[in-house]
Amino acid sequence: MSTEVQNPPPERRFADELAWLAAWDGGARPPGWRLTPRAVVAFVCGASLRLPGPVDGLPDERTISGKFVGDRALVERAVITLAGERGLLLVGEPGTAKSMLSELIAAAVCGTSALVVQGTAGTSEEQLRYGWNYASLLARGPTAEALVPSPVLEAMQRGAIARVEEVTRCLPEVQDALVSILSDRRMAVPELGEAGAVEARPGFNVIATANLRDRGVSEMSAALKRRFNFENVPAIPTLEAELELVRTRATVALQRAGATAPVDEQLLRALVTAFRDLRGGRAVEGWAVEKPSTVMSTAEAVGVATAIGLHGAFFGDASAVPLLPSHLLGVVLKDDPKDRGRLLAYWDGAVKRRAEVDPTWKLLYERRAELEEGSG
Amino acid sequence: MISEATRALAACADPVLVGVRHHSPALAAALPSLLEAAAPDRLLVELPSVFQAWIPWLGHPELVAPVALAAAGPGDALGFYPFAAFSPELVAVRWAVARGIPVEPFDLPPHRRTEDEEGPAGPAPGLMAAARGEADEEDWWDRQVEALAPGAPAEALRVAGLAYGLAVRASGGRHLASDLAREQFMRERLAAARAEGARRLVAVVGAFHAAGLHPDPAWDPLPRRSRPLPTAGGEPVTSLVPYRAELLDSRSGYPAGIRDPRWQEAVHEALQGPTPAAALDGLAARMIVEVGREVRRVRHQAGTPDMTEALRLARGLAALRDLPAPGRREVLEGVETALGRGEGLGRQRVLGRALEKVMIGVARGRLAPGTPRSGLAPAVEQLVKALGLPGPDQLGDPPKRLQLDPLRGGLDRRRHVLLRRLEAAGVVYGELEAEDEGRLSRPWKVEWSAATEATLMGAALLGPTPAVAASGALRAKRPDTEAGGATGAWIGWLMAAAEAGLPAEVEEALRALQVVVPEQGSLAEVVAAIGAVDRLRHGHVAGLPAEGDAADVPGAVRAWRSPLDLDLLRDAWVAAAVRAAEGLEGSEDAEEVQALIGLVRWHVSEGRLGDGRLGALLQRFSDDGAAPMQAAGAAGAWLLGRVDTASLATRVAGWVDTAADAEAHARLAGRFTGLALAVSTELEADADLQRPLLRRVVALTDDDFLRVLPALREGFDALSPAARGRMLSAFSLQLGGSGRVDALAWPPEQLARWALRDRRAAAQLGALGLEVAPWGAQGPAAVAVSEVGSTPAGSVLSALDRWRLILGQERKRLQGRAGACAAALEHGYGGGQGEGARGQLGGDDPAFPSAREWGEALGAAFDAPLREEVLGRAASRGDVGALLALDPDSVTPSMGLLETVLSLRGSLSEGQLGPLRRLVARCVEALSRALAQRVRPALSGLSTPRPTSRRTGRLDLSRTIRKNLHRAVQDGEAVRLVPEQLVFRTRAVRAMDWRVVLVVDTSGSMEASAIHAALMAAILSSLPAVSVDFLAFNTEVVDMTDRVEDPLALLLEVSIGGGTDIARAMRAARERVRVPQRTILVLVSDFEEGGSVPRLLDEVRALAASGVKLLGLAALDDDAKPRFSTAIAEQLVAAGMPVAAMTPVELAGWVAGKIR
Repeated sequence: MSTEVQNPPPERRFADELAWLAAWDGGARPPGWRLTPRAVVAFVCGASLRLPGPVDGLPDERTISGKFVGDRALVERAVITLAGERGLLLVGEPGTAKSMLSELIAAAVCGTSALVVQGTAGTSEEQLRYGWNYASLLARGPTAEALVPSPVLEAMQRGAIARVEEVTRCLPEVQDALVSILSDRRMAVPELGEAGAVEARPGFNVIATANLRDRGVSEMSAALKRRFNFENVPAIPTLEAELELVRTRATVALQRAGATAPVDEQLLRALVTAFRDLRGGRAVEGWAVEKPSTVMSTAEAVGVATAIGLHGAFFGDASAVPLLPSHLLGVVLKDDPKDRGRLLAYWDGAVKRRAEVDPTWKLLYERRAELEEGSG
Repeated sequence: MISEATRALAACADPVLVGVRHHSPALAAALPSLLEAAAPDRLLVELPSVFQAWIPWLGHPELVAPVALAAAGPGDALGFYPFAAFSPELVAVRWAVARGIPVEPFDLPPHRRTEDEEGPAGPAPGLMAAARGEADEEDWWDRQVEALAPGAPAEALRVAGLAYGLAVRASGGRHLASDLAREQFMRERLAAARAEGARRLVAVVGAFHAAGLHPDPAWDPLPRRSRPLPTAGGEPVTSLVPYRAELLDSRSGYPAGIRDPRWQEAVHEALQGPTPAAALDGLAARMIVEVGREVRRVRHQAGTPDMTEALRLARGLAALRDLPAPGRREVLEGVETALGRGEGLGRQRVLGRALEKVMIGVARGRLAPGTPRSGLAPAVEQLVKALGLPGPDQLGDPPKRLQLDPLRGGLDRRRHVLLRRLEAAGVVYGELEAEDEGRLSRPWKVEWSAATEATLMGAALLGPTPAVAASGALRAKRPDTEAGGATGAWIGWLMAAAEAGLPAEVEEALRALQVVVPEQGSLAEVVAAIGAVDRLRHGHVAGLPAEGDAADVPGAVRAWRSPLDLDLLRDAWVAAAVRAAEGLEGSEDAEEVQALIGLVRWHVSEGRLGDGRLGALLQRFSDDGAAPMQAAGAAGAWLLGRVDTASLATRVAGWVDTAADAEAHARLAGRFTGLALAVSTELEADADLQRPLLRRVVALTDDDFLRVLPALREGFDALSPAARGRMLSAFSLQLGGSGRVDALAWPPEQLARWALRDRRAAAQLGALGLEVAPWGAQGPAAVAVSEVGSTPAGSVLSALDRWRLILGQERKRLQGRAGACAAALEHGYGGGQGEGARGQLGGDDPAFPSAREWGEALGAAFDAPLREEVLGRAASRGDVGALLALDPDSVTPSMGLLETVLSLRGSLSEGQLGPLRRLVARCVEALSRALAQRVRPALSGLSTPRPTSRRTGRLDLSRTIRKNLHRAVQDGEAVRLVPEQLVFRTRAVRAMDWRVVLVVDTSGSMEASAIHAALMAAILSSLPAVSVDFLAFNTEVVDMTDRVEDPLALLLEVSIGGGTDIARAMRAARERVRVPQRTILVLVSDFEEGGSVPRLLDEVRALAASGVKLLGLAALDDDAKPRFSTAIAEQLVAAGMPVAAMTPVELAGWVAGKIR
């Protein structure tokens, strides 16, 4: 059997780095932690370090790869938060690498990023607390064996970090199950009586992620908010960084789909520029742009780039750029019909201006008609 | 790791170098011991040498920081040096003055830093800091120097400062050519000091310059300048003035600011104590607690656990970063993480304000007694003398009147700008007698009075020259972008700054407007902003001549070039104006119609035909808008050339036919109002536009005409009497009469005067070689009568009479029935407003003595329903008497009538109100019965629980067992059940009570929606399981909850009118929310926030985040045609409050949907 997997978890991928860092900083660790806060930050942000003294089997010097390209202070705050009594909530727009950050931190702090609950509208309380093996429950009554622990409960028992992805997509009632877990640090199982309560071991904490701007998310109750420290993970700061990210991700996605041709560079630049303009309400040149109500996430930019790339690979089109307007319209036009007007206004403003000097944009401007209503 | 170069700098003994930053608690605290150790016999500080005379006063023990030194040339400020208690230079000067050690400011004076020496010669400082991973240089310094302070010896701090300066210098950043010149000057002064016999020199300079002063150039990474230094003519005027903490803070935008003075000062104090680290830790705790208290003061949550967590984070971060105690940055991070709640801008802004308040402080500086008088007053005295304006010698003389022509330039421009600057600084001196942008010359009244001297003293705190003081005063009044009316305030501020010739402020205002206008501006404001920018672009503002417009005026203003691309800005605003216009579909407001047409005309005059959006918008308005907007939309589309004249004219004529009932009459009136406001001049001049309308009106029978007459009269009443007169004379030409014949109604002497003027004008034109058509060459009879047709047979009212009636003109020429109609209508509309309202054109007949008599006269002229309609419309124009003439029992209940009565209620006496109460009761009863019938079906079945099959985690054991009995198996003794289908219990939540909070805007313009909201409140509150709160607000919030069951009482208590403060209402609503998940909040408003928009958004975000179901209604009536501020509505949507316009039935459906 092949051991190759698509995406190994960070604790496996970077196991040697973690082992080295454990040796590097022998300072005091918060109870239950595998590394010191300093070492966790170094693991996430990268650093070139040297061991204080020789350790068998480990190199004296080592470069830890930078895995998160964001603000170092943000990571520092996140790590310090986890050493305290509050959970960590990473919020931000889609595509800002919140989940990756939470995986990395969990792997560094407790050696596993696998204790994860994916939040959806269908997530039920038992996925956050515990469920039952109903057959066993009905046959034998409530026993510890019939109890099916949730990842959160398991993290409490092990003193590890539990991760809750997209917590705001859970219904508020379901989210609130976390309130007592975070404040009391114990989970009562009334069916098993007093002895059944699970008390969290040192090192237990929760990292949740949320898209506060996403449509259709449930709100969080004030009680739950008070139990989290919020960290806003900002959008990718520069065009070049975002371009690089989109390029890499789209290339990977294309390869997975069996397309080998590289993504058209001009298309990428125009695509990412348009996404950034529309997302920020301001063109790169400083012109005002009307923001559509849709979230223009980096992930969607990757999606568009991939789709156009696949189109080119399998249908063999000469130029990819002319496909962009209709794809962009597809992204923008989701639930507010006025967004079409906003996109047209963008075309009449920024795109038109750029078209005067740049042939790529000129090509795009010529496709304006595709954005008009009724053009199909 | 200390480099060799740093070591060399630190070891330098001649002079001893102390590299500082101009505000540094760490070095300020370390300086006394550093100076003691060096024991200088002369102290040199990096301050321009022109300040020498001020040193004793600056070092005076009784001086209280903050203070500022300023140098100014004849026109502009040259340098500005604020000092706080933690400024190392101030500490050094004080130390030396107290010991009698000579102090020499040894920097190159600012007036000798000539222009050719300026200009950056290295990468921008920000880039450099970024390369080091710091937000900016200040953070870098904080990290490298300030952070060491607790516990580190003074010498270590000095070395760290020098190392920082060297690093900045070595990377080539931030150095201007003038920096090198300044260092050359400082070296020359050092040499001179040595020559004068000083042996132990200490130089306190910016860390960057330290290496430039080392005797050995080998240690200096930058080249040394050795050309002769520029010399300059006039010595600048210097002054020492008291200062204020708010101005000291860099966020004030004032020059040479620092961040968070109060924090820095507290750090300075802490560092001087015996246990600095502990004191700093205590300081962090204190600041965090104060921030929390400030947050709670604006009623946002910040509990003790939050603050404990903030402090824990700050300490944890300090430990992680190897700091002995949390610094400013750690405190900020701790506060934001623990209290920020990730609510983006909403709560961030609350926090930001709290932090600002706590960290900036309110310190006021004071000079030592006996300090010589300096600053503004002497500067102004000198200036007015130079400009030939009244000065102190003319105290008591009568005011001098000046006609200034500032745009011509020269002396007038300098005087004008000085007067404007003093005006802006709050100095009572000149008074502009007429503010007229259209005129070139400006009449000023100028007087040097006792008030001038008193106000000059007050303004002196703001700065040493008129320009700086004007800037300071403007900054103190800087509009709060977060407060209400920000757009208008910023436009005013922009023009004041432009007139006063303050480019930095103009730029700031433009930048603020760049953000504010698209976010908050109403259409009229956006159009005003476009106009303001057009004036700046064309150099029509005296203070800021556009480039190439006029020569520079030395000492007053320089030609100005906008740092922002004004064309782009204007384009963005034009787009914003179009967007703002989008919310005006339902508007009936004359000003908004005019603003829309103003926008269209701007497009026409700029030769733009408007992008598709404006055209589409006008098209939509002309199809679906409220009546005046329909007309404005149609007229606008015509102005833009999107429809031809014939089709607009046909459409306008067609409106006359649609007037079938009272409501249609109101629409007709509205349409003609809109038309008159939009294109009256074109209508007057363009025969093709007139003809179909004239033809249509002529073709009506007398009775039909009388039916539409009041509406048409009301429509054209939007014009001034003079404009109506012109229109009548234009129409009469078309109707076969002659405009000039009608003019015979004028008194002969007036006609004679006009004739004389005509002749003179003709003579002058002839002298210029221009031909004038001879009198009477173009006969009035050129248009045949047949073109507009004639009135139907049997009509008494002639075509011309009809237009006399519609336009309310030439009443004396109307006879018989027409005369009676005219008299009855005249009473309702009076002479009109605007040009000619009191002239001969208006009616001068005595009005009817009472409303009853008038009502009778109306009855005689028109039939009964029409009479009621005319009275009702008169009442809605504020005529209370007309209401009383209505019979409560026979009147047809209508929303319009109810609106009218309620809006007038405030101005009625109790005696008048009595009979009206019956009228209102009848209307309310009839309307609410009708409404309830329509709404009830949407609300039925709300309290019935519904089953669910979702796996909720709460197993319904008994049902599951029952359902799975067939799966039971015998297992030894026991029976085991292997279930196949599981049944779960639904949540109890769904059966519990809901609370609906209606927050209703009762400011002007929202009457219909407010009435519907009151009626809906009654209907909703009658439902089981729903309780209704009713909050009415304008600028005050009134809780009407105990009245919701009785809409009549509620409506009578609500007072319509006043301003709008939605944020306050939302806060009141937020405080009423008990169970957010089961609360529905409906805000009925036009979203024209008169209060603070950011605060409104904060409230909405807080509500949305707490789980309250929010809905913003721009309109709640049967048309659901909204008129609202789109800019603010869009931000509300982004904050989590969907905005819609709904009919009552739709609202009921929405509420029911949320509850189910």
